[in-house]
Amino acid sequence: MLRIDWNLLFTIINLLLLFVLMRIFLFKPVQKIIAARQEEADRRFKEADESKQEAEELKQQYEASLANAEEEKKQVLLEARKSADAEYKRIVSAAESAASKVKSDAAREAENQKAQILKKAEKEITDMVVDATIKVVAEKKGAAVDSALYDKFLDKAGDES
Amino acid sequence: MEDLAKDLVEELNCETVFTIPIFGGIEVSESVVVTWIIMAVLVLVAIILTRNMRIDHISKRQAIAELIVTKLTGMVENMIGPKGRSYVPYLTTVLLYIGVSNIIGLFGFKSPTKDLNVTIALSIMSIVLVEAAGIYHLGVKKWLHKFVEPVAVVTPINILEVFTRPLSLCMRLFGNVLGAFVIMELIKKVVPLVLPAVFSMYFDLFDGLLQAYVFVFLTSLYISEEIEA
Repeated sequence: MLRIDWNLLFTIINLLLLFVLMRIFLFKPVQKIIAARQEEADRRFKEADESKQEAEELKQQYEASLANAEEEKKQVLLEARKSADAEYKRIVSAAESAASKVKSDAAREAENQKAQILKKAEKEITDMVVDATIKVVAEKKGAAVDSALYDKFLDKAGDES
Repeated sequence: MEDLAKDLVEELNCETVFTIPIFGGIEVSESVVVTWIIMAVLVLVAIILTRNMRIDHISKRQAIAELIVTKLTGMVENMIGPKGRSYVPYLTTVLLYIGVSNIIGLFGFKSPTKDLNVTIALSIMSIVLVEAAGIYHLGVKKWLHKFVEPVAVVTPINILEVFTRPLSLCMRLFGNVLGAFVIMELIKKVVPLVLPAVFSMYFDLFDGLLQAYVFVFLTSLYISEEIEA
C-alpha cells in the first residue's frame, strides 16, 4: 500500500501521454469545430450587416430620386407656366399689332379714298366751271355774263349734289 | 475481525501485475495497468464522440463531446482565470483522469488513486507546472522575488510551501480515497444490504468527483496565484 517505486515514474509518463492523447483526440477537434462555427457565425453576421447596409443605401437612393422627381415636377410645371405665359403674351401682342395694322390700313384707305373723291370732285367742279364759263361767254357779254355764269354754276352744282 | 483486517489490507495493497525483467525486475503495479485501461477508455470515447464533426446539423455524439469539453474547460477556466488559459487542457485532463479513477472502483477495478505512487505523481506534476508557469510568466528574477514577498521574514515559509503544497494535494487525494474505501468496506461488513448502496452514492461517486474537482481547483489556484504579476 505504501510502496513508492518505479510506478511513480510510469504514472507521470502515463499522465503526460494521456494529456497529449486527449489534446489530439478531444480538445483540438472540438475547439477547432467550435472555432469554425464561430467563424461561420461571424461571416453570416457580417454578410447580414453588409446586405442591410446595401438596402439602406438603396433606400436612400430611392428617397433621393423621389425628392428629385418632386423637384423636377415643380421645375417642369414652372417652365410650362412660364412658356405658356410667354406664348399668351406673344399671341396677344401679335393680335394687337395685327389689329392696329388693320386699323391703320383702314385709316389710310379711307384717307386715300377721301383724297381721290376730293380730287375727282375738284376736277368735276373745274370742268363744270369751265363748261359754264364757256356756255356763258358764248351766250352773253359783260355783267350779264357774270350773273349768267354764276347761275349756271349754281345749277350745275345743284345737279351734282 | 481479523478477517476484516486481512481483507482490507489485501484490498488496499497494490499488487504487482507483472515484472519487467530489466534492472533486476521492475514491478509494474495494478494502478499503472488500470491507468492504461482508463487512458484507453478515455481516448476511445474521445475518438468515438469526435468522429465526423460538422459545423451545423450536429449529431448527438458531437453535441455530447462539445458539451463535455466546453463545460469542463469552462469550469477550469473559471478557476484559473483568463491568463492561465494555456494550462486548461492539462488541468481538464487531470480532472477527467482523477474523476474516472475515483469512480472506476464501481466497475470492479482498483482505483489508481488508492496507490500513493499515483497521487504523488499527480502532485509532483502539479507543483512542477505551478513553478514552471511562474518562471514562464514572470521570468526567473521575478519568480525568485516572489519568495520574499510580502516581507522577507516569510521566505522560509514560502520555500516550504513549494513542498507542502504538493504534499497536501497528494495526501488529501490519497487520504480521501482511502478513507472512503475503508468506510465502504466497513459498512459492507456490518450491513451488507441496501445501506452500502446509499453510502456508495456519496463515498464512491460524489466524494470521488469532488476530490477530482478539489485537486484541479487547488492546482489552478496555485497557478493563477503564481502567474499574477
